[in-house]
Amino acid sequence: MRVSRVSIAAIAIASVFALTACAGSGEASPGGQPVDGGTIVYAHQQEPACVFGGWIEQAYLSYQVLDNLVSLDANHKVVPWLATSWKSSSDGLTWTFDLKKNVKFTDGTPLTAAVVAYNFDYWLKGGNSTADVWLAGYYKSAVAVNDTTLQINLLKPYPDFAENLTQAYFGIQSEHALKTRTTAQNCEAPIGSGAFIVKKWNRGQDIILVRNDKYTSPPANALHTGPAHVKEVDWKFVADPTTRVAALQSGQVDAIYDVPAVQWKTLKSDGYQLEKYVTPGRPQQIAFNTEVGPFTDEKVRQAFAYSLNRKQIVDTIGEGVIPFEGNGGVSQATPGYSTKAADWYSYDPAKANALLDAAGWTGRTSAGVRTKNGVPLTVVLPYGAGSIIDQDGASILQGVKEEASKVGFDVDLIPVPQSELFAGKYSSPQSYDLSVGYWTAVTAGILYINWRPSTKDDPNYSNSDFYNDPVLNGYILAGNSAPTVAQQYADYEKAQDYIAQHALSIGVYDRLSTLAVSPKLKDVWQEHAQGGPTFYDAYFTK
Amino acid sequence: MTLTSPSNAVSTEPTPAQTSDEGLEERRRSRLRLILLTIGRKLVSAIVVLWGAATVAFFAQLALPGDRATVILNIRDGQAQQRTAAELAPIRAEYGLNHPVLVQYWDYLRGLVVGDFGTSYQQFRPVTAVIGEQLGATVTLSLTAILFAWVLMIVWVTLTAGRGPRVRSLGALVDVVAAGLPAYWLGIILLLVFALGLRWFPVIGGTGVNGLILPALTLAIPLAGFMAQSTRVEFERGLDQPFVVSARMRGMSDTGVRLRHVLRHATIPAVTLSGWALGATLSGAVIVESIFSRPGIGSVLVAAVNAQDLPVVVGIVTLVAVFYVTVNLLVDIAYTLIDPRLKAS
Amino acid sequence: MTAIRSATVPTRPIQLRRLPWGLFVAVLLVLLLAVAAIAPQLLATHDPYALDYPAALQGPSWAHWFGTDESGRDLYSRLVFGAGQSLLIGLGAAGVGIVLALILGSLAALAVKPAAVVVDRFVEVMFAFPALLLALLLIAIAGPSAVTEIFAVGLGTAPGYARMIRGQILAAKNSGYVEAATALGHSRARIVSAHILPNALRPLVAVFALSVGQSIVWSSSLSFLGLGVAPPAPEWGALLDAGRGYIIQANWLEVIPGLVIVAVALAATTIGRHLQAHLEKGEK
Repeated sequence: MRVSRVSIAAIAIASVFALTACAGSGEASPGGQPVDGGTIVYAHQQEPACVFGGWIEQAYLSYQVLDNLVSLDANHKVVPWLATSWKSSSDGLTWTFDLKKNVKFTDGTPLTAAVVAYNFDYWLKGGNSTADVWLAGYYKSAVAVNDTTLQINLLKPYPDFAENLTQAYFGIQSEHALKTRTTAQNCEAPIGSGAFIVKKWNRGQDIILVRNDKYTSPPANALHTGPAHVKEVDWKFVADPTTRVAALQSGQVDAIYDVPAVQWKTLKSDGYQLEKYVTPGRPQQIAFNTEVGPFTDEKVRQAFAYSLNRKQIVDTIGEGVIPFEGNGGVSQATPGYSTKAADWYSYDPAKANALLDAAGWTGRTSAGVRTKNGVPLTVVLPYGAGSIIDQDGASILQGVKEEASKVGFDVDLIPVPQSELFAGKYSSPQSYDLSVGYWTAVTAGILYINWRPSTKDDPNYSNSDFYNDPVLNGYILAGNSAPTVAQQYADYEKAQDYIAQHALSIGVYDRLSTLAVSPKLKDVWQEHAQGGPTFYDAYFTK
Repeated sequence: MTLTSPSNAVSTEPTPAQTSDEGLEERRRSRLRLILLTIGRKLVSAIVVLWGAATVAFFAQLALPGDRATVILNIRDGQAQQRTAAELAPIRAEYGLNHPVLVQYWDYLRGLVVGDFGTSYQQFRPVTAVIGEQLGATVTLSLTAILFAWVLMIVWVTLTAGRGPRVRSLGALVDVVAAGLPAYWLGIILLLVFALGLRWFPVIGGTGVNGLILPALTLAIPLAGFMAQSTRVEFERGLDQPFVVSARMRGMSDTGVRLRHVLRHATIPAVTLSGWALGATLSGAVIVESIFSRPGIGSVLVAAVNAQDLPVVVGIVTLVAVFYVTVNLLVDIAYTLIDPRLKAS
Repeated sequence: MTAIRSATVPTRPIQLRRLPWGLFVAVLLVLLLAVAAIAPQLLATHDPYALDYPAALQGPSWAHWFGTDESGRDLYSRLVFGAGQSLLIGLGAAGVGIVLALILGSLAALAVKPAAVVVDRFVEVMFAFPALLLALLLIAIAGPSAVTEIFAVGLGTAPGYARMIRGQILAAKNSGYVEAATALGHSRARIVSAHILPNALRPLVAVFALSVGQSIVWSSSLSFLGLGVAPPAPEWGALLDAGRGYIIQANWLEVIPGLVIVAVALAATTIGRHLQAHLEKGEK
């Protein structure tokens, strides 16, 4: 994937000439004659309720419509977007952002530092709950120094602040629109300064995004400047993966999201462009309930880890497309990833059996399930079927169940429909022994969200292990506020190793964001913070 | 969806009281009174049924697991976790979840009467708008399916009924097999053969005419088999009727007899089944819309049940009930008016 | 809604009666099914749970008659081992539906006036819901499991049978011999137990057979929507749901379980129809 590395000055100049800039940057790509205009028909999987919000499905959409202060490039470097430059004070408590001039929202109001400051407060007041969990505890206030200078005051140093702002949860909306329009309007068609505008949402079917002809503010890692090449994007919602692939093959759509592993090779050999983005943050991992049940015993947790040939299961079901992930803390795409933690447990049934014997699970039922004092080693593993765990994931979990049964675990797999899952039926310590799930993030700071101890005054329900440990928390907090990147990585790695050593969570596979694109459509790329499709640079060829 | 065998959906019932008056005038008057009384009674019972359906829908949703405010928040964020009271308070207030259940129920009933189905938890829009924009696609699908079913049924029955043992058995066998085909399987097979294999139809249904054919056929084939079973019996009975014999003696062709005389009588039971079929196709829409990626209230319903979007679920349930009850009320009234047993005894 | 009820009903077995081989095939299928349900290891060729990754997604062959799934499990053996659970769900749901229908139907026909009217309206209310929605609601409340599925399907089919039973009882009540018994001064309880119920309930055997087939189809519909039995269990509906993702590469995973369900449902229907015909002949 080509990503232009343009200097800040160049971007500033480019945006001045944006209206006259030609759509020529794509010409460098191989392929047929570029065509201006056209409609990209894109088949996505899940339909969120709103365009903007705290769910990744919303982030994929709002990214098309809203601009962020900063963007992440292919090398995981923060580059300018609405902000042309930024710096933090020496104590790390004050961040200053200089904004692009002459940027207008699509409702005609100008982008100013005051508007951006309003957005920060809006997110924390319920406007975006995911933005809130990232900033809460660190964010103090946002102040407009002048029209183009924004100052963010923090409570504690947070070196990764800018990295986190690249996620679409931090997209900037028009203050005028937020204040004057109804919640329903801002839900359905938020007003940003982005490359596309929400034209119409046919619920249950698609969202029509139309080009913002006055677009002047692309991120520095975009391939061109000025308005998008295509006129419209027809963002369809097609839940069934097979249908999406078939629609792509028959030419009914131009690009699809989430390619099933089993279709990957066929599409590749048929000449489709395939993109794979390994989501940084928490991988698809199995977390152990350390408060109630058999996994309160560290030996039993380790035995479970040793009993699984996770790599073989993932490689077979994933057809070599889905990467195996050994690390339970963060995925291999996350900066500060610990390979040591990832390699901690390999397939070793003998060791698993020895550990279970040592832990006192010595009896056996007629079905071969281990028992201790007559209680069978049955462990409950609920998973969000069709929402958090897709079909490939469900097959992988069946493999996990089967392999664990060989050393005497009886894994009770429970597919949980979305309604029950989100009703929190399987969220209390009494309701499960094992919990699977991922959480996308751009930094290892996700460890703070997933492992911060839960206290009475400040409960942390995202801590699915119910593991409140001051040592682990100490490593993570040190990483969050470390003065240098090297120091930060070292602290976060310590945290991951600690998680592996005590078998608090084991990785299974990396969550992917995948795209398949028709050969006649060029320069579709995945943005680097969350892996959503970017259609701004895309163009059709004859 | 699958169709119940005919004997389940329909059953015999004694006819209303019959008149045995002497005078023609008096008979006519009493018949009018009887008809009005019957219609009035049916109307009242329809309203009672609607109130019952709305009540069941409301309280069934209350029994759903978990705290509703938690669900609303979790779905907005795509996380499955517990929530603090501070996070939940504004949501509770916004949707009146802090009121006692009976107050919520009263507000809900009052809303239904004036056509206010509340606001979607997820989309922040009135439920009537959410349903309104999806209704067209589903009604189109239902009506097209019923039309297809009629065409298939008439052609098949006319061709095979009363044609000698072999053809007749084949005809009846096909009826039974078709009526027993589950919609999900038939849909997948049609998709596999005609959309994925032959590429005659688009894979994603959409709202176009071309995208309507496979989903409508999926619903129509079992329905046709189902209706054909009743029609076939009547058809074969009709072929032996005196008027058919006399028509033949007048030199009418076999096809003419079948189409002009026999078919008309034979399809009466199928006509009465069509009202019921409308309800059945709406139920089948849930599966068909999922297979063919079609918009419509079926897919909205599944999504809303999954998302616990209570106002949308209750709205669709109530709407379907209103629809079903109304159609059957109309069929009933029509029947009351034409039922010969009320005319002469 | 008298109109619907008074439509002509093909209670006669129509031409199926002339197809004794149809009945023969149906009975054979049901016997095979019974063997599979009671002693699946007699029919199965493989362990239905054993993972065999190198053999993943192979088409039907001598080694794997119905092919293998994404984890290399033998589809034929999984179908055989799933028969018990699927059959149990079908029988259970039919049982729940009929019992519920029996209670509602006889109350509506025999209870004193106000109670009968209330029950009658209640059945109408249940009828006004699309059956699938009723099932969806129940599953959302109780969570997906075999037990929920049984009750969801039973509840969805009950109103139809309740009406039928009510009609049968009313017909029996108005028949000549009941009038005669009343004239002879027999007690109400005796009339109900000796005359009305036996006559009204005789067709239930046939209805039950019809209902089992239908319930298997219904519950697999729920599984197809991902709201049935947990995936590793080889229950037929769950196999259908799992096969959906592979219909391009491995359509046997979808086509064969569907075909088995259709065949079993048809067999149950055929047997039900013959029973119905037989019972009616006996009545004459």
